[in-house]
Amino acid sequence: MTVRVRFFAYFRELFGGKDRALDLPDGASVGEALELLCDSPARRAEIFDGGRPRPHIVVMISGAGLPPATGAATPLREGDVLAVFPMMGGG
Amino acid sequence: MNETLYGFHGKFLDIDLGTGDVRTKPLDPALFADYLGGRGLATRLFYDAVDPRCDPLGPDNVFVIATSPLIGTNAPTAGRGHMVFKSPLTGVIGTSNSGGTWGAAFKSTGFDALVVRGRAASPVFIDIAPGQVDVLPAHHLWGLDIHQTTDALASDPGPAGRPKILCIGPAGENLVRIAAVGNDKNRVYGRCGPGAVWGSKNLKAIRVAGREKILIRDKEQYRSGYEQALYLMKQAPVTKRLLRELGTAGLVELINVISMLPHKNFLDTRHNEEALERVSGETIARTILERAGGCTLCPIGCQRHTSLQGADGRTEKGEGPEYETVVMMGPVCDVYDLADITRANYRLNELGIDTMSFGGTVACAMELCERGLLAGEDAGGLDIRFGDGPALARLAVDTAYRRGAGALLAEGSFRLAGRFGRPDLSMSVKKLEIPGYDPRASFTQALGYMTSPTGACHLRGGYAVSLAFFGGTKEIPRFSLLQSPIAVRNMQNKGILQDSLGICRFTGFAFDVGPWARMMSGVTGMDFSEGRLEEIANRVAALERLFNFEAGATRDDDLLPPRFAEVPISVAGQERVVSRESQERMRDDYYQVRGWDVAGRPREGLLRALRIAGRTP
Repeated sequence: MTVRVRFFAYFRELFGGKDRALDLPDGASVGEALELLCDSPARRAEIFDGGRPRPHIVVMISGAGLPPATGAATPLREGDVLAVFPMMGGG
Repeated sequence: MNETLYGFHGKFLDIDLGTGDVRTKPLDPALFADYLGGRGLATRLFYDAVDPRCDPLGPDNVFVIATSPLIGTNAPTAGRGHMVFKSPLTGVIGTSNSGGTWGAAFKSTGFDALVVRGRAASPVFIDIAPGQVDVLPAHHLWGLDIHQTTDALASDPGPAGRPKILCIGPAGENLVRIAAVGNDKNRVYGRCGPGAVWGSKNLKAIRVAGREKILIRDKEQYRSGYEQALYLMKQAPVTKRLLRELGTAGLVELINVISMLPHKNFLDTRHNEEALERVSGETIARTILERAGGCTLCPIGCQRHTSLQGADGRTEKGEGPEYETVVMMGPVCDVYDLADITRANYRLNELGIDTMSFGGTVACAMELCERGLLAGEDAGGLDIRFGDGPALARLAVDTAYRRGAGALLAEGSFRLAGRFGRPDLSMSVKKLEIPGYDPRASFTQALGYMTSPTGACHLRGGYAVSLAFFGGTKEIPRFSLLQSPIAVRNMQNKGILQDSLGICRFTGFAFDVGPWARMMSGVTGMDFSEGRLEEIANRVAALERLFNFEAGATRDDDLLPPRFAEVPISVAGQERVVSRESQERMRDDYYQVRGWDVAGRPREGLLRALRIAGRTP
């Protein structure tokens, strides 16, 4: 299956663009998608702390948030749009 | 009283502009123990000084500015001032907070707070210098904008160095109900119309310069909180780099991802992604940003110092736009032109107008025009449509001088829409324009706007964006009727503490109140445990509510405009409104959580438990 991943803030530099299509095996999880994206030491160090995404990493599926504790296990579906960004606030 | 004071000076200025009396009054240390400083202290002094039924633009209104015991230390971001007054826009408590450098400069004059009452017979400014406080004529300043006034008053450094200036522009002088008060030219006490209160008192500016220091009681304890705070701010990307790189407008695209970015006077939350990118923090950084900047002791640096090339080839410089300015004058008006938004932002800063309420009011006017409701002689020739970006800067000037249609916009969106028979088209709560986060996309944000003491404010009502992203550390669902009342109470209390500590809200993205509790205890030698801070926040919330009741507010004022119950938006594939029933249920549960009665009034037992005294002479 193919999902679209959108990057924001300095993750655009980290991942080399605003978005990309990602081919994944059917039933792959959010965590597996992140693993596939982190194909360099710099990317991995930014996103993961040990085997888990860092607390400030926000991943949303088609505009819906994921709970930080269990979100990485969420299964993806064909056509999902993932948004990946560092926790941001302001305004 | 020869007792050594730690963290504060133990006195405040009480100035009656009607009589010219300038008095120095003692400040009971118990007030700091019970109200902390900043917003809490200002609210208490205000409550004691004002008749809640007064005309906000009459001589009986009072405004209070207060600082906190942390101001004067090197605590990160500790330089903010807080102003409390009765709002000419809302008729309830007005409370506004600003960074910049004026708050710290004021504290260095040897006073912790300032109470201003009465009305001068002719324009004046207040000059606070070491050992000397004067009320001086300001005829030569009247009519100048905020930048010109600042330059005129700051030109000659006195014995205490270059003074800092807090002042109004033409909008405040002309009693524009959404007028602001500015310091450092572009740092603004914006919401609820404080500029009009100053204008009604014939007060143009307050100039301060001082050299007084404060003492720290327990340096070791203070340092432990300070070092932890700095460490955590360097760990969190948002305080370490994101706000410096992108400014607050770095949120624009992200808020669109969660379907929370309003469009066309809150008719929907749909945007063209390419158009939106043109007004994003990334585009600002790439195109108009000259440098980032910070307020007093700020390691974050979210300020945007920008420049624009005019059609005539001239370069204009200024500050902004920030997230709220971008959204309220941009997508909410269906405008996606960064130059139009920035140019209007510059004019509003110079003239002294709140960019948020201005954007909301113009959007309301655009909808009234498109529906054919705003027409005829009463419309002052106004005919604007959604998307008319060039109109923004022109209307800013007209509003400040109440020229033509500007006289209508100067009243804010609620009075504007009401005049043409459709108050429901004003997207406001308690007549204060709703900020750039759509309440249909988060029940916590909706309830925050409903119950904010000042009307729809994301800062006084509670900032639900981090909850919307991923539930925050407590994993509060975005659409939980059950959990929203407690979440909102907690968010509001955290905001009260931040406003009362004199520090920046953005530190809250890196850490909670723990380090502040240690710093406050270390500075003052008083017990500011986290439990004690919670009690203080509840006390301030109850006192603000009490004032609003005495000013005539009722539970019916704690509701959203009908649009949010009737017109759905799509969030993650689901249609969302905040129905009237949901609003009433959350509101009533919130009253219970707060310990207020069914009418929303703080119960007598709560007031006794919080030791909230009645009015003191």
